Amino acid sequence: MTSAPAIDPHVAVVSEALALAFLADLSETLAVSLDLRQTLSEAVTRIAEFMDAEAASLFLLDEDGKMLECKVCVGPIDIAGLRIPIGQGVVGRTVAENRSQVVADAVSDSRVDRSTDSDTGFVTRSLLCAPLATAKGPIGALEVVNKRTGGSFSADDAEILRLVAAPTSLAINNARMAHELVQQARMRREFDLARRMQKSLLPKRRRDGFPLLGVNLPAHEISGDFYDYFDLPDGRIGFFIGDVSGKGLDAALLMVRVASLLRWVGKDSTPPSEWLVRVNEELCQTSLDGRFVCALVGQCDRNAEHVEFAAAGFPPAMLYRDGEFTEFLSGGAPLGILSDMKFESQVVDLKGASLYCFSDGVTDVRDAQRRTIGSEGVRELISRHAGASAEPRLRGIFSELKQLRLVDDTTLLLIERMQVHGPEILLKRCFPAQPEQMREIRSLLRGALDDAGVETGIRDKLVLAVDEACCNIIRHAYGPEHSGDIDLRVTSENGKLEFRLLDSAPSVDPGRVRAKPLGECRSGGLGVALIDTVMDDWVLQKRPDDRGNRLIMHKKITVKKNNGEDRE
Amino acid sequence: MNAIKSETVDGCTLIRLTGEVDLSWSQQVREAVLDALQKSRRVGVVLSEVSYIDSSGIAALVEGFQGARSKGSGFALVAVSDAVRAVLELARLDQVFPIVADADAIPEVTG
Repeated sequence: MTSAPAIDPHVAVVSEALALAFLADLSETLAVSLDLRQTLSEAVTRIAEFMDAEAASLFLLDEDGKMLECKVCVGPIDIAGLRIPIGQGVVGRTVAENRSQVVADAVSDSRVDRSTDSDTGFVTRSLLCAPLATAKGPIGALEVVNKRTGGSFSADDAEILRLVAAPTSLAINNARMAHELVQQARMRREFDLARRMQKSLLPKRRRDGFPLLGVNLPAHEISGDFYDYFDLPDGRIGFFIGDVSGKGLDAALLMVRVASLLRWVGKDSTPPSEWLVRVNEELCQTSLDGRFVCALVGQCDRNAEHVEFAAAGFPPAMLYRDGEFTEFLSGGAPLGILSDMKFESQVVDLKGASLYCFSDGVTDVRDAQRRTIGSEGVRELISRHAGASAEPRLRGIFSELKQLRLVDDTTLLLIERMQVHGPEILLKRCFPAQPEQMREIRSLLRGALDDAGVETGIRDKLVLAVDEACCNIIRHAYGPEHSGDIDLRVTSENGKLEFRLLDSAPSVDPGRVRAKPLGECRSGGLGVALIDTVMDDWVLQKRPDDRGNRLIMHKKITVKKNNGEDRE
Repeated sequence: MNAIKSETVDGCTLIRLTGEVDLSWSQQVREAVLDALQKSRRVGVVLSEVSYIDSSGIAALVEGFQGARSKGSGFALVAVSDAVRAVLELARLDQVFPIVADADAIPEVTG
């Protein structure tokens, strides 16, 4: 601190000590402050007292950083709420320049805006103003007016005010951050509620051979994707899947509106093209703020023999039949852009086939090299899991998608004839009975058992047992003289796995294939012993059609809790 | 991918197997083990990089172990991976084979 040479050094030391005590005390009050408004008001009062000022006030910048507002003041005139543009008057200039201003004679100083004085009758004689700032820049100003003892504020006064400004800024900043955290927590809660609300809009999984199965995997808290299905008065089923452009809360709100609109129009069996026309007209009547909606709507019978659908800017629906894919391009532009649009519909024979409708989130999934997997990748994925029943198949497809990078909401609706009851097929594969095939078969089997939620330790033992069984067929049933295929099918029903292996080799005498106790067999017969140890039971018979042998092995399993959260 | 690497240091042959030991190449594993027993009086089969082994692979190891015993040579499985250990336990062979952590611990000639 500097002091004028005329002042007694002893007095200077005393005032310096006083100033330090004041600063320490004030800093402490500000640091532990819980109620900022109360604390600031107290602080400003004490600053005015300590500095012998008639009035003091604290101004803060508003959110857009253009106006300063008086938040706290002490003195004869209440100026709380007074707004000053940044750059104007002494306070505005302090903030604009981020520098203290000292005004010795307010009456003649051009920096002083006298309008407040003329409004209130207060006479401003001298002024001192220091900026409040954080690392990010100015946030306001602290001002003291009129030295009670007359005269102007000294350089010491200016220094003290500058020092007081630091803990004051800090306290304001802390309080703001605390407030922001509370706001963020509240937002998170709201988002969570919105997400749950949105999830509850998706239809419940229906069983008993219901021919539709949907999965939605939001990339963010809330999704812009949706799907729904419902019974029509004529006994058929109406369904739709869609995707609102953009992300976030506004897209989600639009999604809710579009989903209910689609459901409302679709409920009374409106044919797919007409269905989209009506929804499009309604959406075009109100502004969507540049947003639009991609959707596919359709109807099918309960046995999924025929499906009729129409699409508006939606990714091509994929039909899979016996290893072949057919893609159906969208028959119209997205909804909500132009009225008077037409949407072409398709009627497809679904017997023995599956129709996959998926949002662009599926094709936009990124692989390890951050490339989108595209429709080629989706075809590959579907082919790989094609042997499994619908539910384990979608589970398998999505567990693979999840291992890649999801960048967008990912939604898939599958339409096909579903089994009414009976075991779920986890894997079905026919392959040449050759040792070189086994590596791939083991890998497929591991994947299928993983998808079924089988615990890893058990999985590896089951893979070993099936491998041993195949090797026995290769080595002993076909032997070096014969060749043929192995038809492997893995099914699951009520927590029991069944592994069925068919071959077309000369029939094996089941009596010759027996497990020796494990301790006794060193090399020969070890395979059968392993099968016997791993499986609960197994039986080797002639095939009912007499074309070879049939080995059936069973294993009861306890399934890991899988995250069924993604469905329903 | 599957691989067999063999090296002999100070009269001890180490056979390093990599990959999934199954029927498609277990015969080669068997030959490599028997060949090593011809050359060396101490043989170790390193299994740390083996992610799968079936009964035909186990059989090759059993044959090597029995061959070494009849010759009085030292034989051990070295750095056995979890996958291999699980199969050995399942076949109750984990108590039969000498299993060691590193090549230094392969038993000396017993004959």
